Amino acid sequence: MYEFLKYEVRDAMTADPIAIGPDTRLREVEELFESHDFNGVPVVDDRRHLLGILTKFDLLKAFSLDAHALVPHYDTIMEQPAAAVMTRDPVSVEPRLPLSRLLQKLVEMRTKSLPVVENDRLVGIIAREDVLKALRRATIQHEIPIHEDSPS
Amino acid sequence: MTTLLYTHPACLEHDTGFGHPECPARLTAILNTLRTAPFAALEWRDVPQATVEQLTRIHPQGYVERIFARVPRRGNVALDGDTILSPQSGEAALRAAGAVCAAVDAIVQREASNAFCAIRPPGHHAEPTQAMGFCLFANAAIGAAHARAVHGLERVAVIDFDVHHGNGTQAALEHDPGYLYISTHQAYIYPGTGRRDERGIGNVVNIPLLAGSGSTDLRHVWRHEIEPALRDFQPRLILISAGFDAHHMDPLAELNFSEDDYAWLTQQILAVAAECCEGRVVSVLEGGYSLPALAASVAAHVKALMEAPRAAQRSLIKGILERQKTRRNAAGS
Ligand SMILES: [Zn+2]
Repeated sequence: MYEFLKYEVRDAMTADPIAIGPDTRLREVEELFESHDFNGVPVVDDRRHLLGILTKFDLLKAFSLDAHALVPHYDTIMEQPAAAVMTRDPVSVEPRLPLSRLLQKLVEMRTKSLPVVENDRLVGIIAREDVLKALRRATIQHEIPIHEDSPS
Repeated sequence: MTTLLYTHPACLEHDTGFGHPECPARLTAILNTLRTAPFAALEWRDVPQATVEQLTRIHPQGYVERIFARVPRRGNVALDGDTILSPQSGEAALRAAGAVCAAVDAIVQREASNAFCAIRPPGHHAEPTQAMGFCLFANAAIGAAHARAVHGLERVAVIDFDVHHGNGTQAALEHDPGYLYISTHQAYIYPGTGRRDERGIGNVVNIPLLAGSGSTDLRHVWRHEIEPALRDFQPRLILISAGFDAHHMDPLAELNFSEDDYAWLTQQILAVAAECCEGRVVSVLEGGYSLPALAASVAAHVKALMEAPRAAQRSLIKGILERQKTRRNAAGS
């Protein structure tokens, strides 16, 4: 029943995730979103320092109506670099953060995923799905009858 | 007295390029609707080109020359990302501004009580020295200046219900107390101007509306802001910058006006015009980018214009009857 409290972010995150550079065109980012089921992708420099995060929301926002042009210039916006629309200084978490706390953060921020950073470098990404999977694991283990043999 | 319709074939030949929302099909949709039976009483009029004198009341001559110098012999030229010229654009722009001046002449000379100018390119984003937002010349402002200069009207009001703020009209008129400019528009979208605190010399009323605003909000701001400002000003002529992109089906904005709202708003403007200036209204097409919504909204607007003389008569009779009743009551007591 309390198994979930033992989990840390590093137990559930995707390690060494795909990341993009600040010059990646939005067109390529969109293709990335289409081919992988990412909601957001971290933006890093060549030493994997986290610069920002670019989500589907950021991408949509780039095409929304604003004061700059009567009609959004859809083609040219697609050619913009990730750095132009990414969310800078994103909230990140450490790999050792209890997963229960991470869950709390996701709920409060209504966000879908957060980058995981250690010693200033991107080491993982943790999403709603990862936490749900961990919850399932934690609760199923609890239901396993105690008298059955376990390899521990 | 009927409603005059001003349009010109050149306005159909201003070609903004493939897929551009400010397209000739907008005008075709409008004119096809206005050719149907309910609009048979409209009096269609051809329009002259605007003269240099008419244009230079608002735009410096150098600007006018600069625009014509950019008109291409073939293909398209982009003045900015939104504003595109084709070989016929110069001619269309002259007819558009010319239509408004001709309509003003006819209405002031009582040839009809009101007029609608079905023209493009639109005008309300064109500042005295800056073409932008699909607009080359500030058609409505040029018409307002014409009414003052040629016909000596002391006060001319421009009501702009396009979903975008008419930065061009405002820039052209805001320094002269002979003009009143009132604009409703969606806040925070193009062109970014039109904040409440932009008041000119007290002759500008900007009413930004939040995304999602509709009928109720329109009625509220009419009663509390537009109508009082208009009555205070007592215009001798009312020009309407009639953009229909605040319609709930329009792709370029997020206000939720309907055809009925446009009919209602037109009737309110006409009622004030009947009291202040013998019903004199000249309406000028601006935006509106959903073709079905545009055609239906223009139909509602023009129908209201056509019914104006009868509506004014009804309200006049109602007023007389009410005054008689008050007198009778006073005599009886
Ligand atoms: Zn507009």
